[in-house]
Order: sequence, then structure tokens, then C-alpha cells
Amino acid sequence: MEALDEYLGPPVVLEDESDSSDCSSRKRHKSKLPLAKSMCVEAHVESSFHKTCRICLEHVREAMLHHRWQEAAEYMASYTQVLEDRSTVKAQPDKELVWRMSTEILHHLPNATVTDYNIIYERMKHSGFKHYLMICLEHSFHLMLHGDIEAAKHQVSIAESWRHGKESVSQLQRIRLIHAYRSLLDYIMWCEKKSTLSNDNPFESDSQGMHTFFRLASTNLQEILKNPGVWDPFILCYVEMLEFYGDNEEAQKVLNHYAYDNSFPPNPNAHVYLYQFLKRHDTPDKKLMKVLKHLQVLVPSHELMLTYSCLLLQSEKESHTQKALGVLLEMLDFQCWRSNLDVWKCLHAVIHQLLQREERATSVQTQMALRNDWWPALHFTSFHAKKDLEENSELFEVKASLVEILCPGQSPRYTAEMQMLTS
Amino acid sequence: MDEEDTDGYKEPCNQCAAVDWGISDEGRFYCRSCHNVIERTREVVDMSFTSNSNRISRIGNKSRIRKSERGYIWMLCEGFQFILQNQADALLRLGVAPQFKDDVLCQMWRLYLQKSQQGYTRNPIRNLRFRGAALDSDTDMDSAAESVLSDNFTDSGSVLCSSAGSNAESSSDWLGSDYSSTGTSASWKRSRSLMTMKKTLALIHLALVWSREALTLSDLLRLVKEGHVPYVTAYEDLPEEMKLCGPDALLFHVESIPSHRSVHKEAQVLVQFLQLPAFPPIIPEALLHPAPLSLRYLTDANLPDELHRWVCVLMDRAGMADQKRHTLDGGLRPILPRYDLQAAALIIVTIKVIFGLDDHTEWDLSNKADSHDDKADMFSFRKWYKLVQAALVEAQQRRDQDTARKQWKGKKLFFVDKRDRLIVTKRRRISENVQMCLKRLSSCPAAVHYVGPSSFQFCWGDENGSDGPSLHHTKLDGVISLSNGFMTPLNLNYWHPPLRPCNPRTCVSHYPSMEPTLPRSFVWLLQLFSFMLDVEAWYLFDEVLEMERRVFGIKTPQIGQQVETRKWLRTEKTNATQTGDPVKKPRTPRKGRNGINI
Repeated sequence: MEALDEYLGPPVVLEDESDSSDCSSRKRHKSKLPLAKSMCVEAHVESSFHKTCRICLEHVREAMLHHRWQEAAEYMASYTQVLEDRSTVKAQPDKELVWRMSTEILHHLPNATVTDYNIIYERMKHSGFKHYLMICLEHSFHLMLHGDIEAAKHQVSIAESWRHGKESVSQLQRIRLIHAYRSLLDYIMWCEKKSTLSNDNPFESDSQGMHTFFRLASTNLQEILKNPGVWDPFILCYVEMLEFYGDNEEAQKVLNHYAYDNSFPPNPNAHVYLYQFLKRHDTPDKKLMKVLKHLQVLVPSHELMLTYSCLLLQSEKESHTQKALGVLLEMLDFQCWRSNLDVWKCLHAVIHQLLQREERATSVQTQMALRNDWWPALHFTSFHAKKDLEENSELFEVKASLVEILCPGQSPRYTAEMQMLTS
Repeated sequence: MDEEDTDGYKEPCNQCAAVDWGISDEGRFYCRSCHNVIERTREVVDMSFTSNSNRISRIGNKSRIRKSERGYIWMLCEGFQFILQNQADALLRLGVAPQFKDDVLCQMWRLYLQKSQQGYTRNPIRNLRFRGAALDSDTDMDSAAESVLSDNFTDSGSVLCSSAGSNAESSSDWLGSDYSSTGTSASWKRSRSLMTMKKTLALIHLALVWSREALTLSDLLRLVKEGHVPYVTAYEDLPEEMKLCGPDALLFHVESIPSHRSVHKEAQVLVQFLQLPAFPPIIPEALLHPAPLSLRYLTDANLPDELHRWVCVLMDRAGMADQKRHTLDGGLRPILPRYDLQAAALIIVTIKVIFGLDDHTEWDLSNKADSHDDKADMFSFRKWYKLVQAALVEAQQRRDQDTARKQWKGKKLFFVDKRDRLIVTKRRRISENVQMCLKRLSSCPAAVHYVGPSSFQFCWGDENGSDGPSLHHTKLDGVISLSNGFMTPLNLNYWHPPLRPCNPRTCVSHYPSMEPTLPRSFVWLLQLFSFMLDVEAWYLFDEVLEMERRVFGIKTPQIGQQVETRKWLRTEKTNATQTGDPVKKPRTPRKGRNGINI
């Protein structure tokens, strides 16, 4: 009885439907439906409507997990009534569920058209403000993937200009992402224009339009790239555009900033891009080596390390040769370079050079001291011997010649194998 | 020109965030700065600014007979009256006798209005204060417009009697008056008399019991669930002029179908509140009496018809053949029996007596029956179990799917005020569009679509679409034998779960803790019947315990007392069968706490 009193007492459930077009957000108290006293068999009171929604969701999930997409679509169609739930306690998870699951189901239905996607994206966007930006972004990705760049750009621009009180502050990160993607779309359009530029008559091509896109994209990107983060695809676009217009200084500045600024997270790709840029513009080896040095610290097994060690070798300096040795050995610490002939050859060359200078291979030994325990097992077992012989006899020879120097006395098996097989 | 139309709409534009709206020629809103057209149209704006003609304002005002400029203000009970009418009409369409609506339900409703002082009294409640709602300005109390009929129906005690003539009057003559609280002292009384959707079901149930219709409460709830009786979207059938508004409108909003237990409780409360006289007796021919009702359940569960005789024997033993047991009489605390549960419990106890249900006896008996079965007409528990289990699993799956697909939101929108309407419209639009899109792609019907209502859950026989072959004709020869000229079950053991004292106020059911220790066949049987009646297993289990107490003549243990188990013995001599049936009553256990299966 008291429950009934309570029920009629405080005013009604009407949490404001705040969406992208509704500004007010006054919250009101929820009214309590008459709750039965909890009995030993009912852990919590769930209205039949919520029970229906829960069971429907389980069916949708089952169907999706088993790839029964038609069935999933049917149950999903029944599930949408959850969006009309008057009690908005769990409104947000429901909206997200409906959005994500419907789009996933649409991916797998054969007769889904772009219109269907548009309907779902548009509707779910305006159903609430928490997901508005993400849905916009996903929508524009979808349009991009289907080749409709204009529409994608339109979506992203709408999202860019979205404001919703303090909600837009908390979604700052997403807004940055949206800006970045808008610039990416501008870049894509710029590329399209560029391709027409080279093919057609220069008088007919739209270089003015191209410039506009370039300007739009670059102003935006400049802003974005000041923020710490991983912006790999965007940097490449920006650099490409700058190179096209001949602004190499700016490009180099940007790349340097991206690679060396401490507030940015350590990103090996940054150094790779910088290296590639410098290579394109004929920088002296010394500078290249400097860049690669940083890269080596981050990723010792990078494929550019081979180039690096070659550069070091070519420089004919004592310290460089030793450094090259270190670089190569660190590369070979990784399984992926195990059967790479070039690396071993380079190592052979380095060691050869080192041995010419010293009487005893002290530098080699110091480097190998750390590795004595596990290198033989890594490279010089009889299994490796057999395999190398089968696959690449040259490799075997190179390795065999280095065995004694690198691991003195510890792997007779490698060479023994050779003797066994060649005798 | 546009200003006053768009005056109320101050939302910023989606694209340019400006608040500068105009109205295009088609009546749609557009943003003047970026020419973005939105979906809002002028009609929407107009609607929200009309005066509140034809709306239910918050409850509390006296009704008027004629429409005024402000519109007619309805009472809450009038709304419920419409709903009750619709529900009764639906039942009549399903085959209930018309006397149910005209003679019984009508009278009960009038009695309710009288007792809760909403109508048919000289002094209907007038006080306008209602917690939480603002007062309306038209508090004009027209005393001349007091219920015209109230003078005709004096408060001369109960108006209902079972042989009342048909007093059907058209509903437009019915008037109610407001009933808002007179103060905190009356709050309990008010809340007790407040009408809710659940109460409509309780009232209907009482009326059905009074008219002795074959619909039990579980049948009624099943019809409600399947949509044959309006309940979830009952507000849709309210007349056009009646618009819901205010916090009380939520009373018409339904998100749950109440459980058997809660409706039964409500009905119980109503019986006391209405101070009804003695009900018409439930004679053995009436379909609510356990004898015919148990036959119906036996048929539905594909059990042999011969079992009915044993059910009747036990019924006599429990003293339930007597119609007095089933009829509510006046008195201080009349108890409304749960006819459906009692019948099901009787059947379960009978099966327990005959088959043992201790996970051994019934299978042994089945083995014997199977091996001696030459003419293939002996009832075998095992065969029955396999058949029914297969059908039960399918039926449960179907019910599960139907629950998943049930649509709870009616075609008409439900909202309580202006702002709510906007929100609800918008949500409805979103949900509908997404749904249409998915429906189109899946090209399959998504809504549940119930077949015609039926009293039976299963269909046994040889036709297409039946759940399996029928076992109704099989004989119980394998389990009953003739000894000393009496038919006796072969099984002479009976088990009972251990009793323990507990406080009935705090403890609701011991079933969840006991369930792991009970024999699986028993638990399965409970689940079968609880599926058929659509109640929780523990609820049925409590009824079974209650039935066992009646059959074996044990009093309900009071708090703190231990139960004497020796009383179980030697009960054949008591309660001689009145029907003169030559069957012997099954022997009760020889020892005390015998054969408790752990």
C-alpha cells in the first residue's frame, strides 16, 4: 500500500530527452513503480517489458554469433522498442547496442543498400548526444569506403560544427579526430584534382580548386599536428601536399617536430618518414645516419637497420664499424632475420674489416659476451645447419665461416654437419 | 508572421547552430541562416498551444455533464470504466456468458465505486488536494451536477446478489466523482481504493468466479499475455475525447503483466474491501470445481483418463469435494481459493501417490509395464515422460521466442503532457524507422502472431500439428492391482520433504533451497504444471505442500511447533468416500519420516 502511495507521490519519470537539437537538461526524479517485496525467488524486480528486451537481446546475440543474419535482423526489429523505454536509466547502452548491432547486421545482409545505412545512422545520431560524434564519424567512414567522398565530407563537416554545451568539452578528443578526418577528406579530394591535373589539358584542370583544398587541409592539419598523438596517415598527406608545392622546409620542420618532440609518444614511424623524406631530398649520409640512430634505439629489428649498418660500414670509421657490428648483432637477435642472407653478409663484411684492424677479435668478443648463452641455440644448431643447407647454401657458407669467431668452441655441430654432409 | 508560430521553438539549428527559424510554404521549419529544413512542422507547434480542451487534467475535479469551452474533464474511474468494459467485451467475444458482464461485473464495479466513495453515494469525495499536482483553475463545483444516479442508489448495503436481474445501463449515465485525498489520515484508505490496471484484472477474476465461468486466473492471465484481452495497450481503446494528461495518466501505462500471485492478492483484498456476500456455490458440475478442472489438466498433460478416478478419491480425502471449500462465503476473512493451483496440486499429489516419484519407483513400474504390455495400451511413465518432455521443450522455446518478440508499445503514443509528447513522438519515430528498415531487409514478420486462444497448451492426437500421440485411453494396469477386492496402487511408499519450523511472515518459500534435494521426476512434474499454468515453480510447490497437508490431515504447523509425523498413519478409517467408489484409498506411509529422498 505504501508503494502505491509512493507511486502517486512524486511526479513522473521524464528525464529529458537531450539530443543534439534539444538544449535543456533539467533532470527530474523518477517515480517508482509499485515494487513487489523481494521474495526469495526473485533476485530483482524486472518489468515484463525489460524482460522482453533482455530476452530479445540474447536472441539477437545468439543469432549474430552463429551468423544467422536473417534471424538476427528479425529479432533486432523487435528489439527497437527498447528505444521507447520510458525509464531512461539504461538508455545510453541501449542506443549504442541498437546502433552497433544494426550496422553489423546490415554488413552481412545481401540486400542492404546505402539508403538503409543512411537511415539507421541518421536516426541513431539524433537519438541522443553522447554518441553523436562517433556515429557521424562512422557514417562518414562508411560513405568513404563506398567511394562517396562528397557525402563523407558533408557528414564530417556537420559533425565539426556540432556544439552541445558542456558535452562538447568532454568530447574534445573526438572532435579533434573529426577535424583530422575532415582534412583527410580534403586531401583525398586534392589528390583527385591532382590526378586530373596531370592527365588533362593544364588550362582546363582545376588548380584553383586544388589550392582551396590544400589550404583547407593544411590549416587544419597544422593545428592538429601540434597536439601530441599518433597522426601517421595525416602527416603523410600533409608532407605530400607540401612537397608538391615545393615547401620542403616546412615539411622537414613538421617531420622533425613529429619525430623529436618529447610530448609526442615515441613513434618509430615518425623516424621512418623523416628518413624517407631526407633520402628523397639527397641529404648527406651523416644526417641520415643520425636519424637512423634514433630509430635503432626504438626498433632494433627494423628493416632500415640493414641500410644503417651499410652506411656505417661505408663510412670507414673505426667507431662506426664497431657500431655496425652492434647494430647487426642486435638485428640478428630477432628471429625474423635469422635466414636473411644480406644481414649475414653484412655481418661478415663488418667482422672482416674489424679483424683486419685488430689482432684478436676483442670487440667481437665483448659484443658476444652477452650472447654466448643463447646464440648457439638460436643460430647454430644442427637443425639450423640442415635447414640452411637445404634452403640456401650460400647462407650456410657465410654462417659457417662466422661460427668460430662468434661462438668459439661452442658449436662444433654446425660445421660438423657440413663435414658430414659434404664428406 | 512567422514569429509567433516559431516562437516556442528555440532549438539551435543542426548545421549552423543559429536560432533563426522560419516557416516555409509547406509549413515546415527552416533555418534562415543556412536554409536547413527540419522535420518540425507547424501543426506540431499549433497543437501544443491549444487550450486544454478534451484533456484529462489532473484528477480531482468534479465532472461536468456538458462540454464547456474548456472541455470536458474526465475522472480517473471513468477511464477505468471504459477499460473494464472493453475487457469484458473481449471476454464475451471469447465465449463467456453475457450475464458475466451485465449482471456481475457491472454490479461489482458499482459496488466498488460506492465503497471507495467515488460514486453512488450522497457525499462523493470532493477534496481537490492531490499530492504533487498543481491545482487547476476551474475548481468550479457544481453541486447540482452531483451524480444523478446517486440518489437512486442509496447506501443500503450490498447491491450484489447472485440472482440479480439484468440492470445493464449504458455507460454514459455512469458518473463518478473525484476521489483525491482528504488528508493524510485518509491516505491509506485512498490508496487502498485507488484503481490500477492490476485491479481491473482482479475485479474481472472475481466476477468470473462469481459467474462460475471456466476461466481460471491463469487462463485469464494467459489471454492477457496473448493480447486477446486488452491490457497492455488498453489505453488505446479509450474514447477519442479522453486524453491522458498529468501524472495520474501513468496509471494507464503498463509495463508488466502481473503475476498470478499478485493478482490473487489484489482479488483477495478486493473481496474484503467490497464486503461481498457469499458467492454462488461451486457445485461439482461447475467447471471451477476441482473434479472437472483436474480432468481438463489431465487431458492437457496427456495423462490417462483413468487417473481421474484417483484424483477424485484424493479430492474426497482432502475434503475438497465439498462445495463449501470452494465457495467464498461472507464472514470476516473470506479466502479466495486458487482453483487452478489446487487442481494441479491435486494431480501432482495423485501421481506422487501412485507412481512414487522418488526417481526409482516410477521407472521400475514403467519397466514392468513395458515388459508386460502386449496390447500396447498400458500407461508407461517412461513413454509418457519422453513424449511430454519433447513437447514441453518445444513449447518452452516457443514461449521464449514469443516473449522476445512481444511488442509492448501500442500504435497510439502514450504521453502525459506536452513535453512528454515531444519526447515520445521523437523516440517513436526513431524506433519505427529503424524497425522498418530492418523489417524490409529481413523480409520476415517480426511481430508475434498468436494463434486463436485455446484452453489447452498442448494438442495430443493424430492430426497434423499435434504434439504427439494421445495417451488418454491407456490403462493403469501396470500400476494398479486388485487386492482384497480393492484396487490398490502397487506403490506403497510416499515421501515428503523434511519439515522445519519457520516464521511464515518472513519466509516465503523453501523451494529454492530444497530443490536440489528433491527427486528429479518430481521437480520435472512441477515444472510441467507450472509451465501449463504459467506460474513459478515454487508457487506451485507451496500449493502441493498445502494439498498434502489436507490429504493427510495435518494441521499447518504454527510457529515454533514441531509436526507430529505419527499422525500420518491409520487414516484409511477416516473420511469415508461419499461416492461409494469401490476403489480403496491409497495407503499412507507406514513409518514416520519415510523415504525422504536426498
